[in-house]
Amino acid sequence: MAASSSVANASASRWGRLLQNPSSGALALVMVLAIAMSVAFPGFATGVNAGNVANQMVFVLLLALGMTVVLITGGIDLSVGSVMGLSAAVGAYVILSGVPLIFGLVAAVAAGAFLGWINGLMITRLGLPDFIATLAMLGVARGLLFLWTNGVPMNGYMLPEYYVIAGLQQPFGFITVPILLALVAVLAIAGMLKWTSFGRHAYGVGSNPQAAQLSSVPVTRIKVQAYVVSGLMAGLTGMLMAGRTSTVAPTMGIGYEIAAIAAAIIGGAALTGGRGTAFGAVVGALVLSITANAINISGVSSTWQQVVTGMVLLVAVVFDRVSSILRDRSTRLKTRLAHT
Amino acid sequence: MNVRERLGRVASIDGLAIALALAAAVIYFSFASPFFMTGENIRNLLIQSLFIILLAAGMTFTLVTGGFDLSVGSVTGLSAAMTLMSLMNGAPLAAGILAGVATGVVAGAINGFFIAVLKINGFIVTLASLSIGAGMLQVITSQVQLTGVDSQAFAALTKGSFLGVPTGLWITLVIVGVLEWVLLATPFGRGLFALGTNREAAFLAGTNVRRLTFSVYLISGTVAGAAGVLLASHLNSVQPGLGQGYELSAIAAAVLGGIALSGGRGSVWRSVVGALFLATLSQGLQLIGVDPMWFNIVTGASIVIAVAFDRGIQRLVAVQLASAAAKGAPARHTAPDPSDGSVSVAEDAGQKLPALPVPGPTAQGAGEAESGSSLSVARNM
Repeated sequence: MAASSSVANASASRWGRLLQNPSSGALALVMVLAIAMSVAFPGFATGVNAGNVANQMVFVLLLALGMTVVLITGGIDLSVGSVMGLSAAVGAYVILSGVPLIFGLVAAVAAGAFLGWINGLMITRLGLPDFIATLAMLGVARGLLFLWTNGVPMNGYMLPEYYVIAGLQQPFGFITVPILLALVAVLAIAGMLKWTSFGRHAYGVGSNPQAAQLSSVPVTRIKVQAYVVSGLMAGLTGMLMAGRTSTVAPTMGIGYEIAAIAAAIIGGAALTGGRGTAFGAVVGALVLSITANAINISGVSSTWQQVVTGMVLLVAVVFDRVSSILRDRSTRLKTRLAHT
Repeated sequence: MNVRERLGRVASIDGLAIALALAAAVIYFSFASPFFMTGENIRNLLIQSLFIILLAAGMTFTLVTGGFDLSVGSVTGLSAAMTLMSLMNGAPLAAGILAGVATGVVAGAINGFFIAVLKINGFIVTLASLSIGAGMLQVITSQVQLTGVDSQAFAALTKGSFLGVPTGLWITLVIVGVLEWVLLATPFGRGLFALGTNREAAFLAGTNVRRLTFSVYLISGTVAGAAGVLLASHLNSVQPGLGQGYELSAIAAAVLGGIALSGGRGSVWRSVVGALFLATLSQGLQLIGVDPMWFNIVTGASIVIAVAFDRGIQRLVAVQLASAAAKGAPARHTAPDPSDGSVSVAEDAGQKLPALPVPGPTAQGAGEAESGSSLSVARNM
């Protein structure tokens, strides 16, 4: 940029930067939608409904956080929906075997992390493309779940404390345990991306794996860790979902990978790697959750849900594309100005 | 030529591995179950595999250009619904078929528009259209009970018989034959290979990248539409969730047939053999008493094995090429001797950093679209 940029110029460029920020378009979309909804439907802008939205978004938010980490390293995880279902079944099974609740919860999360680790190994050691390895895991984990449960939902594992942990009982008003857990997860992922060497390396691996490798970044380890994080988040989501629905259907989590990827992409992560933030994942999950809620409240049939999710994803990528064209143009303009 | 090279040369014959695997599966199951090699069973097997065969054939086109179409399963389901809905509303047979195929054409054109014209990552676009298609199927089926029509002619579309072979199989054969011809024997097909091998070079050589990219998604969508029509004729009813997961099987079939995910390699018949292999496996496992729920696991595992195997072969071929180059140019003594198992520097870096050389279709396209500093060539593609 030219050195002579004035104060006015700086503030203009701050606006420009905000407009070019990938998640700002999504944020604007949410605001417009929220305002329109609160004008049209009095039931929308209430504390109770806000609580509903927050409680609904927890699942997609947790998955989107894991997905964001994977996307930052330049990968993709299609298996989160299946992993979430299988982990929930592992948790339920462990609880049903009669051990204290906490073992079941830990087992669910650990199962998710383990499956994520397998994903990472398939990608780094066997050299499979990311989406093929995780697509295979999607099929295998779902198949295992069906085979294991014989197609029959698991239930009867709901210990009294599980109701509190899953947010079915709400000791502190609409702030439920899942919301608190999601908050901790957002802060943890944000901190990890910002302040740990893993985070810095993850962006490096995603933006230029070759350069990262040459600068002796442990590319393989970073990639595996990213998939472990994503699997762990899927396990955590499965654990919470098992509590929320009080049953583990063999179909649990089907299609959640689309919501998770959509939320992460809407939040500014890119398939090309090197981009994405924990805050973006929150915005993305919020967009999906608020649109779902708006569909509900405005009385549109909930069968439209999936159509709308797909369209929101499409709108988000089109917006991202436009903003990247704008970004290109302004960079080129600035270089040209700097040269004259 | 040592044993290793010879082995590598045999193993790298295109399509040999999957054809052998299919033969082995057929032989094994005909011994393991007396019911496998019956006319009835083979007929069922073929009819049930028609849909995956068609989708895999369409998928070959997107894969050859280094792209990817995740939406084929839900497009198939939606097309089936459109066909059945038109027929149930009293439309003539031709109009019903047209409705189904047109659904596929529209879906493919929409995918193609976003991917080729707006240059948005194909993976995300087709993921979104997967969601939209499946959602629309849900909306339709929640409002109309698609329980089928009483039409002999419509049923005969798959179940009829011509020269002892089911009509559905004839239709599939014709479609597959035309697709194979287009891919292997026309300038259009050669353009697709050029595009998949090296996008930038193809553009510089005057290939109309935008038109070709649009066409492959159009083809993939149209074929999915045709598959939907046949599926509607086969089932004569449409449930929500129809076609869900077909994309997984189609990709598995193509990958099993050795279609490279990085683009530039493939042929329709190999995907078809891959689809037949999966169908044989599924039917055979059921006949010998294995829980059909194993099928998902087998499909997933076979994708992993096929891709890992393919990479192994590619590595062997690379070693061979390197050794051939070394023999052809004996002056280059400074190059590391490839015959002792080590590979060239670039190859080595590639193998140790798998995320790099096989970015797959996920990373392509968007990479050009998003990096502002890339060549102006890339921006125009």
